[in-house]
Amino acid sequence: MTRLVLALVPALATSASAADTGFRDTAAPFLTAHCVKCHGPDKPAGGVRLDDLPADPAKDVERWAAVRDQVRDGLMPPAKEPKPDAAQARAVVAWVSGATGAKAARLPNSGNLIPHELLFGKPAAAGDAPAPRVWRLSPDAYVGFASQVFRGKLNGLVQPFTLIPERGIKDFAGLYAIDEPSTEILVRNAEAMVEAQTTAKNDGVREFVTLVNTAEPTRVQLEAAVQLQFKMAIGRAATADEAARFARLYEKCAGTGDRPGAVKTMLQAVLLKTDAVYRSELGGKADGTGRRMLAPAELVTAVSLALGDKRDAGLAAAAAKGELATREQVAAHVGRLLDSPREADRVRVFRFFREYFEYDNATDVFKDKPKTFIHEPRQLVADTDRLVRHVLAADRDVFRELLTTPVSFVNYTTKENKQTRKQDPARAVVPNPNNNKGQAGVESVYGLEEWPAVQPAALPANTRLGVLMQPSWLAAWSTNFDNDPVRRGRWVRERLLGGTVPDLPIGVAAQVPDDPHRTFRDRLTVTRDAACWKCHQRMDDLGLPFEQFDHYGRFRTAEPVLDPEATAKNVDKKGKPLGPVHRDAKLDTTGTVADSGDPKLDGPVTDPRDLVRRIAASDRARQVFVRHAFRYFLGRNETLADAKALQDADRAYTESGGSFKAVVMALLTSDSFLYRSGM
Amino acid sequence: MTTDATRRDVLKLAGYGSAATLLTPVLGQLAAHAAGDKAAARKRVVFVVQCNGFSPAHLMPSGVARPKGGKFTNEKLEEVSLADRTLHAALEPLTPFKDRLALLGGLSGRIALSDHSANHGALGAYPANKGPMAQTIDCALGEAIPGIAPHVGLGLAEKPDETLNYRLSAAGPGKANPIQCSPGLAFKALFGSVAGGTSRAAFDRRTNLLDFMADDVRRARDGLVGDERQKFDQYLEAFENLRDRQGKIDAIKDELKARAPRLDAQLANPTETNRLGAQFEIAAAALITGLTNVVTLTSGGGGQHFPPFPDLGVPIGGHHYGHGGGVPGKTAEECFVAVRQYHCKLVAGLAAKLAAVKEGDGTMLDNTVIVYLSDSGDGHHPQLHEWPVVLIGDLGGKLQTRGRYLQFPAYGQKAHRTMANLYCTLLHAAGKPRDTFGVADPGLKDVDQKGVVAELLA
Repeated sequence: MTRLVLALVPALATSASAADTGFRDTAAPFLTAHCVKCHGPDKPAGGVRLDDLPADPAKDVERWAAVRDQVRDGLMPPAKEPKPDAAQARAVVAWVSGATGAKAARLPNSGNLIPHELLFGKPAAAGDAPAPRVWRLSPDAYVGFASQVFRGKLNGLVQPFTLIPERGIKDFAGLYAIDEPSTEILVRNAEAMVEAQTTAKNDGVREFVTLVNTAEPTRVQLEAAVQLQFKMAIGRAATADEAARFARLYEKCAGTGDRPGAVKTMLQAVLLKTDAVYRSELGGKADGTGRRMLAPAELVTAVSLALGDKRDAGLAAAAAKGELATREQVAAHVGRLLDSPREADRVRVFRFFREYFEYDNATDVFKDKPKTFIHEPRQLVADTDRLVRHVLAADRDVFRELLTTPVSFVNYTTKENKQTRKQDPARAVVPNPNNNKGQAGVESVYGLEEWPAVQPAALPANTRLGVLMQPSWLAAWSTNFDNDPVRRGRWVRERLLGGTVPDLPIGVAAQVPDDPHRTFRDRLTVTRDAACWKCHQRMDDLGLPFEQFDHYGRFRTAEPVLDPEATAKNVDKKGKPLGPVHRDAKLDTTGTVADSGDPKLDGPVTDPRDLVRRIAASDRARQVFVRHAFRYFLGRNETLADAKALQDADRAYTESGGSFKAVVMALLTSDSFLYRSGM
Repeated sequence: MTTDATRRDVLKLAGYGSAATLLTPVLGQLAAHAAGDKAAARKRVVFVVQCNGFSPAHLMPSGVARPKGGKFTNEKLEEVSLADRTLHAALEPLTPFKDRLALLGGLSGRIALSDHSANHGALGAYPANKGPMAQTIDCALGEAIPGIAPHVGLGLAEKPDETLNYRLSAAGPGKANPIQCSPGLAFKALFGSVAGGTSRAAFDRRTNLLDFMADDVRRARDGLVGDERQKFDQYLEAFENLRDRQGKIDAIKDELKARAPRLDAQLANPTETNRLGAQFEIAAAALITGLTNVVTLTSGGGGQHFPPFPDLGVPIGGHHYGHGGGVPGKTAEECFVAVRQYHCKLVAGLAAKLAAVKEGDGTMLDNTVIVYLSDSGDGHHPQLHEWPVVLIGDLGGKLQTRGRYLQFPAYGQKAHRTMANLYCTLLHAAGKPRDTFGVADPGLKDVDQKGVVAELLA
C-alpha cells in the first residue's frame, strides 16, 4: 500500500492535470481501499498488479480498462471482501472511461461501456458538439455511388470496401480508412465506370461519348465534362481551380497523342477524389457558439446516407436553392424520406434491425440436414425480415411489438397474381417429393402443420413471441449441433440490458463437454466453476430460457438425450449394435435476470416468454434500444455529450406511442447529428 | 531464357534510360545479383496456410508413432532423419523434396486458441479473435526482405465472389492486410500492366493519374487534423506507393511479360482447384520475377472458410469432415488426407518451379523457405499444444532443414518452444533478428519463451 502512495507522489508533484486530479480524488483512494491488498507487489493475486498503474489511464489502457470492467460489472472485489460504495464505484468507472480516450471505445460493441445512468439518469442539457470527421463510404453506399455515376449494369465492378467482421453494428466512421489494396480496386473500378460512361449504347453519358469522339476537345468542353462528372459523383460543382487542374491532367495525358484515353483519365480522377469516397462532415460556417452546423452539401450526404445508399435528389435540389440550412428544413426532408413509398429511400431503417438482432446470421451457421423436416435458414431469415417490415409499417410500440408479437410470417413469399396484378401471398419453400421424402415443410419449424394462407399468422398458443423466438434468431445464435445459451445470454445482456461482458480470457479453452446423455443445461454447468462464473453469471441465465427450443428453432417440451442403457441393449440377434436410443429428459426453461440496473427487471423467470415480456415493458431496455439506434444512425458510440440527443429520441418514441420513425427523426435532427465543433 | 539473362538485359536497358535514379535500389539488388554476390542473393519466404487444422499424425514419417496415451511428455528434442523413412500418405507429394524438409512437431501456439481458425493469431502468435493486434510474420518478413511489393497475399475463399480476405495477415496493429481471393484480380493487379495488352500510353496515363491523385489528396488532407487527417494520409500513401510501384514494374516489364502465367483455362472454369491452382501459379511468377519476396498463399485460412473440393471427391466443406462426417466413399480422415495430398502437390509444384530457376550458383529454391501450416493448428477444434509445421528449403543456407523430423520438448517442459520462437527464427534467418514475437503464452509461465528455435538455425 505504501508503494501506491509513493508511486503517486511524483505524478502529483509534476502537474495537476484533470487526469491527475481524477486519479488522486477518485481512483487512487478506491484502489487503495479495495484492490491493492491482493494485487500488490508481493504475490499479486492472479498475477495482476495494480499498485503500479500509471496515473494517466491512456498510458496503460489495457490494465485500466480491465479494472473498469471488473468494477463496473461487480466482479471485483470478490464477494468475501467489503463491497465498495456504489456511487464511488460508478465514479471510478466514469473517470476511467473518460480518461482512456476514444480508442478504447471505438468498436460498436463497446458502446455500453458508458454507464446507462450517466446518459439517462437525469435530464440532460445540450453537450459539446462532436469533432469534425470524414466517413468512408459503406460497401452499400459505394454501390449507390457507382449507380449514380453509371445508370446501367456495370460489369467488373469490385467492392473495394469491407466492414468489421464483429457481430452487430458495423459501419462506424472511426473504423475505416482506405488502404492500398482498396485504392487499387478503386482505380480499376474508376476505369470500368468511365469506360461504361463513354461507350455504353443506351446508358452512357451522352456528353462524355461525344467528347471521346471529338478530335480536338476545347477547354470549355473539357471543363463542362468535369463539372458534369463532379455533379454525378460528388454532388457539387468543381471550383474554378479544380476545373483548371483537371483540364491540365487531360493535357498532360494527351501529350502522348491518345486523346480519348486522356479524356477518360481525367474523368476517372473525379471518381477517386476524397469527397467521392468519403462523406465529409466537417461543419459549415461558424455560428459564434463554438460549433458549426453541417454545410448544406454535407447535409445532403449525411441525411441521404443515414437513410439510404445514395444521394437523394430532393435534398440536393433543396441545398442548391439554399433551403437546407435549418433544423426545420432538415426535418422536412427526413420526414419525406421516412414516409417515402420507395423503400430504397429509407432502407437503412429496416437494415438497422438486422444489425441489432442479427437473425440474418442464421444462414452462416452450418447444420446437418435434418431427416424429418426442412431446415432452410434463408427462408427463416426472409420470414423475420417480413415480420420486421410488418411491425415497422404499423410503427406503433415498435420495440415491444418486435419482442412480444404473437404472430409470425411462416414460409412466406409473394407472387404476382396475373389477373389482378397484385402480389398474393404464397408458400415460399415447397417440399420436393423426390428430395424431401419424409420431411415436413418449413412450417413445421414454427409448430404448424399446414401453411397458413393468411399472414402474419398466429402461432400455437404459449410457444413463441417476437423476434427472439423466431427460428431465424434462434438458429443464428446456435452452434452446429446445439443451442448457444451463452451467446444468447450475452446478446440479451448487451443489446437489451445495456450491460457488458468481458471477452473470453486469453488461454481459456471454452468447451462444453460433449456428453450426449446429459441435457445442454446440465453440460453447461462447467461454467459454474468460480473462475468462469464471474463472467458467465452475466450470460448463461439470460440465455437458458431459450432452451425451450431446439437448435433449429423448434418448440419442444422435453430434450432428447442419449439413453446409454437402452442403447447398450439395442442390438440385433447377433449382438451387433443397432444405433443410439434417446429418451426425453425433463426440460428446464427457467432463468434469472440479475444485476440488470433496473430493479423491476431483476428476478427469476419461468420461460423465454416471461423473460421477453418483462424486458419489453422495461424503460431501461427501451433506452438501450435507442442507444443502439443512435450508434447505427450516427456511426459512432454515444458519449456523455450525447445524453440530450438520446433522451430526446427516447421521449419522441414514448410520446409518439412507440414510433421508430419518431426515433430516427429525433436522432437525425439532434445537435449530435447536425453540429460539429469548431470556432 | 533464365531470369539471370533477362535481368542482365534489363540492367543494360535501364542503364541507358532516364529512369535510372528512380530505380537505384532495384538496380543495386540486380547489380549485386548479376555479380554473383551470394551474400546479397534475394531471400524468399512463402507461407502456405491451409484451413481446418493439420493433424499431427500427418507429420509423422514411417516408424514414428505417438506415445501411448497420445500425449507427448518428452523433456528434450527428439529427432529422426527422413533419409530412410517414407512420408505419411498425406504428405507423399513432398517426397521429391525430402532432403530439404523439416517437419516440426510439438511447437505450441496456445495463445491463439480458437475453434476453426486462429485468424491473425496463426501468423501473429497472439489471441485469435481480437482482430489484427499486431504485425503478422509474413508482413514482418515482407519488411525484412522487400520486393517491389513487400508482400503478396493470395488465397481461396469459400465463395468465388469473396474477393478479399482480411482475417489472416496484418501489416501492423489494426492494419489487416488483404489476401486477394480472386485469381483474375490478382493477375490484373500484378501483371495487368504488361500482360493485359495495354499500351505504353495507358501505362503512362496511369502514372499521371496516380501523381494527380496524390496531389489532390494532399490538398484535401491539409484541411484536417488528428485521426481524420490520418485517414487521408493512408489514402495518400496508397497513391504514392502505387506510383512508386509503377516505376519499379517498368524496370522489369520484359521479364514480367515473359513470365506472366497463362491462366485462361483456370479462370474460365473457376472451380476450387482451378482457383487455388491459379493462385499458386501467380505466386510462382511473382516470386520469380521479383515482384515480391514474400507470399502468403491460403486455402480457406483466416475467418471460417471451409471450401469444398468436389474435384477431389470431397464435395462438402471442411466443417463437415472436421466434425467427423464423411462423404460417400470416404471417411472424414480420408477427406483430410485427400485434401492435404492435393495441397502438398501444389506446394511441391511451386518448389519445383523455383528449383527450375537458376540463381547464383544454385537455384531460387535454395534461397527460399516454404512454411506450410494450418491457421487452425492441429485440428478443426485445435488444442494447440502442438502446431504442426512443414518447412521446405533452407533460405540460402540459413536454416537447418535437411530432411529432419523434429519433435520438440512437450508443452510445459523447460525447453519447450512455441510458434513465436519459430517466427523469431525466420526473422533471424532473414537478417532482421527479433527475440519476441506476438504475445507470450500465460500457460507457459515457467518456460523462457524468448528467442529462436536454436536447432533450426544454421
